[in-house]
Amino acid sequence: MNKKLGAFALLSASAVVLAGCATGGAPTPTADGTPEPAELRVWLVGTDTPQAARDYLVETFADKNPGSTLVIEEQQWTGLVDKLTTSLSSSDSPDIVEMGNTQAAAFTSAGALLDLSDIQDALGGSDLLDGFVEAGTWDGKLYAAPYYSGARVVFYNTAQYEDAGVKVPTTLEEYVSNGVTLAGALPGVSGVYFPGKDWYNALPFIWENGGEVAVQNGDGTWDAQFSSEASIAGLTQVQELMTKASLAAKDGDETEAWVPFRTEKAATLSAPSWAYWSIVADEDKKDTALTDTLGYFALPGSDGGAAQVFAGGSNVGIAARSAHPELAKSALEIMLSDDYQTILAENGLVPAKKALGSKVAAATPELAAVIADAAANAKLTPASPKWADVEAKGLLQDFFVKVAGGGDIASLATELDTQIESILNG
Amino acid sequence: MSVMTRVPEVPATAPAPAARKARRRVDGTPLALLLPALIMLIVFIGWPLVQLVVMSFQKYGREQIFGAPAEFIGLGNYLRVLGDPEFWTVLARSIGLCVVSVAATMVLGVAIALMMKALGTVMRTVVSVGLLLAWAMPALTATIVWGWIFDTDYGLVNYLLTQLTGESWRGHSWLSDPLSFFTVAAIIITWGAIPFVAFSTYAGLTQVPDEVMEAAALDGAGGWQRFRLIVVPYVRSILIVLLILQVIWDLRVFAQIYALQTIGGVRADTNTIGVYIYSVSMATGDLGSGGAIAVILVLVLLAISAYYIRTMLKTEEEL
Repeated sequence: MNKKLGAFALLSASAVVLAGCATGGAPTPTADGTPEPAELRVWLVGTDTPQAARDYLVETFADKNPGSTLVIEEQQWTGLVDKLTTSLSSSDSPDIVEMGNTQAAAFTSAGALLDLSDIQDALGGSDLLDGFVEAGTWDGKLYAAPYYSGARVVFYNTAQYEDAGVKVPTTLEEYVSNGVTLAGALPGVSGVYFPGKDWYNALPFIWENGGEVAVQNGDGTWDAQFSSEASIAGLTQVQELMTKASLAAKDGDETEAWVPFRTEKAATLSAPSWAYWSIVADEDKKDTALTDTLGYFALPGSDGGAAQVFAGGSNVGIAARSAHPELAKSALEIMLSDDYQTILAENGLVPAKKALGSKVAAATPELAAVIADAAANAKLTPASPKWADVEAKGLLQDFFVKVAGGGDIASLATELDTQIESILNG
Repeated sequence: MSVMTRVPEVPATAPAPAARKARRRVDGTPLALLLPALIMLIVFIGWPLVQLVVMSFQKYGREQIFGAPAEFIGLGNYLRVLGDPEFWTVLARSIGLCVVSVAATMVLGVAIALMMKALGTVMRTVVSVGLLLAWAMPALTATIVWGWIFDTDYGLVNYLLTQLTGESWRGHSWLSDPLSFFTVAAIIITWGAIPFVAFSTYAGLTQVPDEVMEAAALDGAGGWQRFRLIVVPYVRSILIVLLILQVIWDLRVFAQIYALQTIGGVRADTNTIGVYIYSVSMATGDLGSGGAIAVILVLVLLAISAYYIRTMLKTEEEL
C-alpha cells in the first residue's frame, strides 16, 4: 500500500509541477500594494516621455482631483504586446496605457480599451494627428488617442566624419558608402551603428527603393512585399551597412544605442530625436565626447531630399477594466492638453496636436528643422489589426538578425513574406 | 519526497489484526485533515487546468480574453498544432535541450553530493552556502547576469578569451547561432538546477550505513565499485524521483530561454516548448492553439512520469 501511496504522492507532485507549466501563460497578479480607491496607474513605455512631462502630469492631476494620486509605472517596449494582453485582461489592470501606434489595433479591435468617443473633442478633436487617430479607431469609434509621434534623425560625430574625410550624405546610396568608408578609416569604430534587431531603421531602405512591407489586394487579403525586386535592392543596402559598416552586435537591439555613439565607438547613429539628450549628456548629466562634435541630418532619400522613414509614435488609451474611468479620462485630458503636449514638443517629440507642430523646438532650431523634415515624410506599417502579431512574434527582428549575419536575402525574404501573409491573412 | 513516503514503511507492515479492525471504522478525521489542501489544489491548480483544457477546444483569441463569447471548434486546435511542422521542430529541440541539461545536472549534482560527503565541516558549509545562494537566485535574475557574462561587446567570457588566446573575441555573439545559444542556455539551466540535486542526493548519502561501506572496503571493493554497487542501490529511488522532476522542469523551461531571447539570438530558431506556448498564446493572441500545445505537453510529461513511476515500483519490488 505504501508503494501506491508513494506513486500517488509522486503523481500529485508532478501534477503540481505540470499545472505550474500549464498556467504559465495566464496572468500573474503583479506585486502591488492594496490599491487606494483613487490611485490611478499610468503605464508609460520606455524613456520617451521626458521627466518634465511626467512631473507635470502627476502634479496637475493631483491639483484637479484632490485626494487622488497618479502613479507612473514605466514599461519596456520589448514584449509590450504580450504584457498588455495579460495585464489589460486581469483584475489588476492599469488605468491608462501607452502603446506603439502599430500595436494599437490589436487592442482596439479586441475590446480591451474604453470607448473615448465622448471625450474625443475635449482631447483635441480634428486637431489630433490623422494617422494616429486612424490607428486608434475601430468600427468608427476612438479607443486610443494619439500620444506623440517621433521622427528618426541621423546623428553623426563631426570630428570622426572629418577624420575619415566624408561629408554629410545627400543620397541614401552615399549614406551607405559613407558608412563603409568610415568603418574602414576608423578601426574599432562603427561607420553606422546598426544592430541586427533594429528593423525600424531598416524599413526606409525598402521604401526608398520603391518597395513596400505589404500591400492589400482587391479582396482585402495582404500580399507581403519583402521579396519584391525593389525591396531586395533596399535589403541589400541594409545588409551592406550591417555587415561592412557596423560593429554592433548582429543580434543586438537598438536600446541604449547612444552609449557606443557617445563614447566614439560609432560615427553615425539613426535614432529617435529625443535620443539627443542621452547623447550630449551621460546618466550623471556629465558632458560626453559628443557634446561639442554632434551633427545631425534627416536620412537622405534615394534621389536627395528626406527619406520616407518609419512613423514611430504612441497611442494612449484607457483600460476597459479600469476601476476609475472618470479619473482616467481626466488624466487623459491632461496628457493631451496644450501645456503637456508643448512639453513633449519642446523635447523633440512631434506632439499629438497638429496646431502645436511649430512648437517642436528641440535643442536647437536646426535639429527642429531636421525633425520636421523627417516627420513630413514618415510612413506607417500595414494597417491591419494583426500587424501587432507580426511585431510580437519578432518576425522582423529575426529576419534582420539573419540579414546582419550575412544570410541570403532573397530566400530569407521569401520565407518572411510567407510568414507575414499567414499572420495577416490568418 | 521519496524519503517521506518511505518512512511509514515499517509501521505500515506492522499493525496487528486488532489495529486493522479498528481502522475499518469510518473515521472522518483523515478526510477533514486532507480537505484544506484539497480545496487549495482544486482552486489553484484544478480549475486553471480545467479551463486550459476547455480553452484548447475553443476558438479563443484576444476578443475572447476581453469577454467575447468563445466558439467550440472540436479538435480544430489540436489538428492545426499537430499538422504544423514548427511544433514538431520545437518539441524535438526542447527534448534535446532537456536531455543534455538533465544529464549534466544529474552527473554534476551527484558528484557534488559525493564531494560534500568527503569534505570537512568548514568546507562543506561553504559549499552548502554557495549552492543555497545559487538555488535561491530567481531564474530571471540569473539569466540576465549570465547574459552579461556572455555579452557580445563587454562580456567577461569574451574578455577572458581575448586575454587567453591573444585573438580578439570582442564582438563574438554567443547567442546568434542556435547551437551556441542552447549551450549557454544549458549552462544556465544546469547551474540553477544542480543545488537541488546535490542537496537531495547528499541527504540520501547520509543514510548509507558506514559499516556497509567499511565492510565493502575491507572486501577490496574500489571507490567506483562501492559507489556503483552499494551507494547507488541505497539512493536509487531518490535519484529516480530527482530525474523525473528534472525532466519535467527542463522540458517546460521558460524564464531562462525567454530572457535569453530578449538579450540576443533568433527567436524562431531558439523557441522551446514553454516559450512557444507563450508566444502562440500571448504574442500571437491565439490562446486556443496555445492551450492545445500545453495539453499535449502535459500528456507527454505524464507519459514520461508514468514510465518512471512504474520503473520505480518495479525496482522497489525487487529490493
